[in-house]
Amino acid sequence: MTPVISVTGLTRRYPGQVALDDVNLTIGTGTITGLLGRNGAGKTTLLRILAGQEFPSAGSVRVFGSPPAENEKVLRRLVLVREDQEYPDFGYPDFKVSRALRAASFCYQNWDAGLASSLLEDFGLRANKAIKSLSRGQRSALGITIGLAARAEVTLFDEPYTGLDAVARQVFYDRLLAEYADFPRTVVLSTHLIDEAAALFENVVLIDRGRVVLDAAADGLRGMVTTVSGPVLAVDSFTKGRPVWERRGLGSQVSVVIVGQISGEDRERARSLGLDLTPLSLQQLVVHTSGRQVGAGSLAGRTSA
Amino acid sequence: MIKVARYQLVTPVMFLGLPWAALAAVFAVNAAQGGGGNFRAGLAVIFLLFFVTGVQRIGRWLPFGLALGATRRSFYAGTALLGMSMSLVSGLVIAGLQAIERATGGWGLSITFFRVPYLLDGPWYATWLTSFVGLSALFVYGMWYGILNRRWGMLGLLAFIAVQVLVALAVSFACSRAGAGPLRLRPAGVYPATLTALELTGVIAALTVVCLAGGHATIRRVTV
Repeated sequence: MTPVISVTGLTRRYPGQVALDDVNLTIGTGTITGLLGRNGAGKTTLLRILAGQEFPSAGSVRVFGSPPAENEKVLRRLVLVREDQEYPDFGYPDFKVSRALRAASFCYQNWDAGLASSLLEDFGLRANKAIKSLSRGQRSALGITIGLAARAEVTLFDEPYTGLDAVARQVFYDRLLAEYADFPRTVVLSTHLIDEAAALFENVVLIDRGRVVLDAAADGLRGMVTTVSGPVLAVDSFTKGRPVWERRGLGSQVSVVIVGQISGEDRERARSLGLDLTPLSLQQLVVHTSGRQVGAGSLAGRTSA
Repeated sequence: MIKVARYQLVTPVMFLGLPWAALAAVFAVNAAQGGGGNFRAGLAVIFLLFFVTGVQRIGRWLPFGLALGATRRSFYAGTALLGMSMSLVSGLVIAGLQAIERATGGWGLSITFFRVPYLLDGPWYATWLTSFVGLSALFVYGMWYGILNRRWGMLGLLAFIAVQVLVALAVSFACSRAGAGPLRLRPAGVYPATLTALELTGVIAALTVVCLAGGHATIRRVTV
């Protein structure tokens, strides 16, 4: 897997705050990566630096092998769709949806006007509508339209569907997958709706307080963390010797989150002990992982093996 | 750079039409009032709008421009080039309208609108040159304000204005100490009596280059 994005020791400091702290990351060509984390974790800062819109305080960032900042050769092959994208929607006459699309059309050589039109139709967005009068969801739809129709080799989505309803979000997932199948590209999708988008991800990167706490293949993560519930003695017996993330008890019952693959033999044993085994969803995994120092060996290291 | 210019012209009316529409409105008001040979400085509105356009073209258009893959350098160069091209054409139009104004005795109403005493009162090519340089200067100066605001916000703008006031005071003080007295009051206003209009145009051109360099240095680290 050739890395199209390579980040080493990336740090971004603001007065009184470290937004990114020694981030190391590689993202391969033709993959969909989920960039996950809480609000303020540093996801947007990372994407802005990758798109040359922000500068690192320290460390190295390479996209297509070169630093992206002020690098036209890199930036013309990359698009960043931001939740808070500012448009020149000021003054007279109005800056309309059609004008934004026209501007994008001569900035991206692979621009597909037909795709843009059909996406607008799917999202119910009129091309002659002034951007300043768009709702939050409609602005998101415009960003998604530009991001997909640009057909840029690296497509970065930062919370692209804020304000979109469930139907429109499904349109986005479906069109993203269809586009990805027809024109493979490297996609990084930052989102809070983790379980909804989980099926898209081939890789997952979790950022917490500016640090990468998890960087693993999505397939490897599935079934890697399990909640074991049942009587205290049985659970203790089953989980003995296994890494435990969390333990919650209620009377004689207890629920323990353990790390590690569950084998067929383990399942048999759990059944005989009367225990419930529930694999953590990606969203639950993120909730458990955020705020704790996940040692590289405890999860990321194992899943990548 | 060409892509940036095309991006800026995606709303041509906003860029090209607005200054001239405003000037036409001011001219109409002047014409309705009747000229009587008095100069009312209505032409200043187009210069003012070039400044405002310069501010907006950075402040409002940069974030989406960068989102579409432009670099700061190409965005700046493309926008400045477009503004200066627009100044070149507008200067020619002003020179043409001035010639018509002269030929028709102030549009038949004794209006002095396109003839600005001392500054734009010479042959057509001098008017063209001075208008071009003046409009370019204000556009580029406005761009610098837009960049400063984008980079450091209102505090940066206030600091920038304060520095300019200090520099102006220092120059004025130095001139008066040297006995040069660059500004001398005359009945019709304040003119730099020691300079001809073309020499003043040269000074404004030099200041434009300073503004271009300053804006370029400031935009290099702007984030959006």
